[in-house]
Amino acid sequence: MPATLPFAAFTALVTFLVSFPIMGLKLVKEGTQLTLQSGTPGAWTFIGLAVLTVFLFQLFRPQIAGATAGLRSRLPAMPSVMPEDEAQKARIERVILWVLIGVALIFPFASSRGAVDLATLVLIYVMLGLGLNIVVGLAGLLDLGYVAFYAVGAYSYALLNEYFGLSFWAALPIGGLLAATFGFILGFPVLRLRGDYLAIVTLGFGEIIRILLNNWTSVTGGPNGIGGIPKPTLPAIQTDPELAVVGLEFGRRAKEAGNVPFHEYFGIAYNSSYKVMFLYIIALLLVLATVYVINRLMRMPVGRAWEALREDEIACRSLGLNRTAIKLSAFTIGASFAGFAGCFFAARQGFISPESFTFIESAIILAIVVLGGMGSQLGVILAAVLMTILPEVAREFAEYRMLMFGLVMVVMMIWRPEGLIPMKRPKLELAQ
Amino acid sequence: MLAFDPFYFAQQLLNGLTIGSTYALIAIGYTMVYGIIGMINFAHGEIYMIGMYSAFVAITGMAAFGIEFLPVIFVGALLFAMLISSTVGWAVERVAYRPLRGGNRLIPLISAIGMSIFLQNYVRLFQGSSDVAIPHLLSGGYTFGAADGFQTTLSYMQILIFVTTIVSMGALTLFIAKSRMGRACRAVAEDLKMANLLGIDTNRVISFTFVIGAALAAVAGVLLGMYYGVTNPYIGFIAGLKAFTAAVLGGIGSLPGAMLGGIILGITEAMTSAYFATEYKDVVAFGLLVLILLFRPTGILGKPEVEKI
Amino acid sequence: MKKTFARTLLSVSTSVMLMGATAITHADTIQIAIAGPVTGPVAQYGDMQVIGAKMAVEQINKAGGVNGDTLEAVIMDDACDPKQAVAVANKVVNEGISFVVGHLCSSSTQPASDVYEDEGILMITPASTSPAITERGYKMIFRTIGLDSDQGPTAAKYIASKVKPKKVAVLHDKQQYGEGIASSVKKTLEENGINVVMFEGITAGDKDFSAIIAKMKQAGVDFVYYGGYHPELGLILRQSRQKGFNAQFMGPEGVGNKDLSAIAGEASEGLLVTLPPAFDLRPENKSLVEAFKAKGEDPSGAFVMTSYAAVKVMADAIKATGTTDTEKLQQYIHTHSFNTPMGDISFKENGDLKGFEFDIYTWHADGSKTPVQK
Repeated sequence: MPATLPFAAFTALVTFLVSFPIMGLKLVKEGTQLTLQSGTPGAWTFIGLAVLTVFLFQLFRPQIAGATAGLRSRLPAMPSVMPEDEAQKARIERVILWVLIGVALIFPFASSRGAVDLATLVLIYVMLGLGLNIVVGLAGLLDLGYVAFYAVGAYSYALLNEYFGLSFWAALPIGGLLAATFGFILGFPVLRLRGDYLAIVTLGFGEIIRILLNNWTSVTGGPNGIGGIPKPTLPAIQTDPELAVVGLEFGRRAKEAGNVPFHEYFGIAYNSSYKVMFLYIIALLLVLATVYVINRLMRMPVGRAWEALREDEIACRSLGLNRTAIKLSAFTIGASFAGFAGCFFAARQGFISPESFTFIESAIILAIVVLGGMGSQLGVILAAVLMTILPEVAREFAEYRMLMFGLVMVVMMIWRPEGLIPMKRPKLELAQ
Repeated sequence: MLAFDPFYFAQQLLNGLTIGSTYALIAIGYTMVYGIIGMINFAHGEIYMIGMYSAFVAITGMAAFGIEFLPVIFVGALLFAMLISSTVGWAVERVAYRPLRGGNRLIPLISAIGMSIFLQNYVRLFQGSSDVAIPHLLSGGYTFGAADGFQTTLSYMQILIFVTTIVSMGALTLFIAKSRMGRACRAVAEDLKMANLLGIDTNRVISFTFVIGAALAAVAGVLLGMYYGVTNPYIGFIAGLKAFTAAVLGGIGSLPGAMLGGIILGITEAMTSAYFATEYKDVVAFGLLVLILLFRPTGILGKPEVEKI
Repeated sequence: MKKTFARTLLSVSTSVMLMGATAITHADTIQIAIAGPVTGPVAQYGDMQVIGAKMAVEQINKAGGVNGDTLEAVIMDDACDPKQAVAVANKVVNEGISFVVGHLCSSSTQPASDVYEDEGILMITPASTSPAITERGYKMIFRTIGLDSDQGPTAAKYIASKVKPKKVAVLHDKQQYGEGIASSVKKTLEENGINVVMFEGITAGDKDFSAIIAKMKQAGVDFVYYGGYHPELGLILRQSRQKGFNAQFMGPEGVGNKDLSAIAGEASEGLLVTLPPAFDLRPENKSLVEAFKAKGEDPSGAFVMTSYAAVKVMADAIKATGTTDTEKLQQYIHTHSFNTPMGDISFKENGDLKGFEFDIYTWHADGSKTPVQK
């Protein structure tokens, strides 16, 4: 026991020092003066308990470790969920993916409006996560300013609609294209930077885009943002040429000339949930398209090249692969998905302003990719669900919710550093 | 702007130097940690924020006991803030980064972002989200320039910031260059595995790096706490971002680089405000960073990376 | 294809309606959602909203409730994030709540109110001052606070007629609220022939304003209008004093907070502020103010009484009409006047208050204020 005593005492002291100035004391304003007061008795009890727990834990650490190790050895080994065989693994993943798609399709019809709306938000993050996954997970380029492309997408729809009256469906490809162009323009000069230098430049770029959107008041509305962005319409199928219906809207009344409310067109009662469901379905289709396209890309030479480049840049170059072109393609394609997601986000919100595109958004998308297990699509999807639902579930804890969010990020990284579903790396080993 | 006014220029230069020195102090923490284990410690800005809160606690606490002699208050706040911040720095490394060492480089980064969110909300929860303010402790200064023209002011507080920054930087440089621990630091930065093989306790060196970085962030916290007189739980994030930019600008991993980067960034911001428009100062600062990295991909004083095969 | 799709949707709609039927809440409570930031940097303003609205709910319930029903406050946190605000709005719809007091930040109120208007939910914001909110011809959306566009001209006319400065600098924090007011001040000042030599944005959250202060000093500015909140203005005042820049400052109600004096100290003496009338100083509200103080709450926050009034308007309208049908309620609210701690208030066609005026005050270093003759 004495062997652990000094360290135990030290950690107890550390715990005390970390907690008492912030928890145990409180800076209180009295009138215009600042005074120092003691924290609540509860806070002091908590500090005492924390110090004691840390002390005892460190003191008896060998014994605790021994006990848990003993327990672990007595318990039967957990059977691995995933079989070893690669082909079988892939098959199982595919089954899970199809089940997920099935659940996602049934979901809006079996749950409440709030849940569907939340699911739509989840799908936006899935799309963003999948897009960033190309850049970070597959090509191994650390991008901390991904939100810039998201903003470009959102603002393209908002501005094109405001100035040229373009509909969601017309703006969607343009938004993606514009974001891709931005990705290309940014990528061209910066991709020769390595690792963390690339990270800070992309971070800077993200901030520049946000500040420019905020400052360019005459066009973007600056901090006032752009409001009144129409929701997507369902293109009407022209059965009767005399009915010049352009699109179906999901509001109670049609807002634009030529459009007809959805419920009137079909002669059914108005239900406010249709609108939310329709948005969800569009998001789902976009996500499915994203999954499909990325899946194909990964199997194409360019996708293989991304991964090869991530694994070993020098080997790639010696094999005659064009490093810049490969990186640029990853950057551009990744950006285009953020553009699509941005377009959809603008349509869902109906109002956008630069404050939706801050650095913390980039950090959350990056966390989704890493948490999911870089490169793995299924993992990214699960992580996006987790990261979006978690703050909502924790809403009950109101005050503590962001505290828990931060803690979960740390704990997840320690518990599963390889991500929820690690990407399977194709490997061949020589037989002995 | 009218004709070029040297006194106005000098004033803006001083403003830039002041803010740049504190960027430099915070940037040291980033650059040392990066130099040794190659990770971006995103929670570093929060450690600076905790240093600032600790300084406020110490200053108001001493005021309650009727201590009014400024040097005592300053040194007391400095020691207290450094103690608390370095403890937090040590604990953060131990809890959130050490278990992750050796894996993918992105994993500690995410853990650091999580830690940053955690610390921010930890302080917010117990100290409230609104600004807390202390009165001026040191006011007055020197004035230069014609009585009818623009007058440049150099406050005592600014002088204190310059002097403290220079002293801390000097002490650190000397320490890294001369002491046993400093030598160990350099060895670990050069090659962690090799240093380990040669019998250097690398874990201790890494812990030490975090402690030093945190202590310097606390120095910045105390100085800026006294200079601005205001703090809140969110103050660390933007300061951390700027200091990180400064570290990269100067060449991450290089101590003189962090100092240079901080000062260049501070002056750039002040000059943009002075001769262009304040709302574009961050755009210009980041734009400058991009530009410098394009021509010197490893920052101003960064060593060009050798591609190891 | 079309037919099957329609059929699926039809079956779905019936199932949704069935679910809606089971979700009808207990008849004896009327839920009011209080939507605003409980977390995040502006949580302190959210607190004002919560204590005001909660007090109203408490007192109305104590006085026998609304037609025998009791009110219940449901707090919803949007963290002042537009994305979360939409999620909150949908959650409100989901939980079958028909009354919302909130949101706080205009950028949250705007997208959320789209949902409320569509779903026939009555929303009264006690805090959002952006003119854009009531410019869209919505019927369900009201506010118990003035507008940025009213506040700016009030300030600017005072500057032009009473202060008559030579060179004015108008600063703002590049946010919806601050820039909105600052632009309207600048516009009215220029219409009145006042020389505005600078119009610049600072970054909210910044701590160092020495560069822009030196710039104003260099330009010989003798009057500064700042559109934004108190943390930044407090620092600007404090640093101006240190740098020997002694212009007269003025700000909107977002700076009129005791914390301003805590930050700026002596430098806040003499600052001009446009504020909504101080409702907590009205003699009629004496007992209400005491009720707040008995709970250890501060009734002087800018949005406390406006939130109280928002709940009161809803409760009175429900009492008078004897229904919770929001369509009828909004008609009633549009056409009647209500007695609240803010005085007798009534609403315009677009949902704004009739005749809401800002007063001008001189701020003092101890955080108190005295009214100025307009």
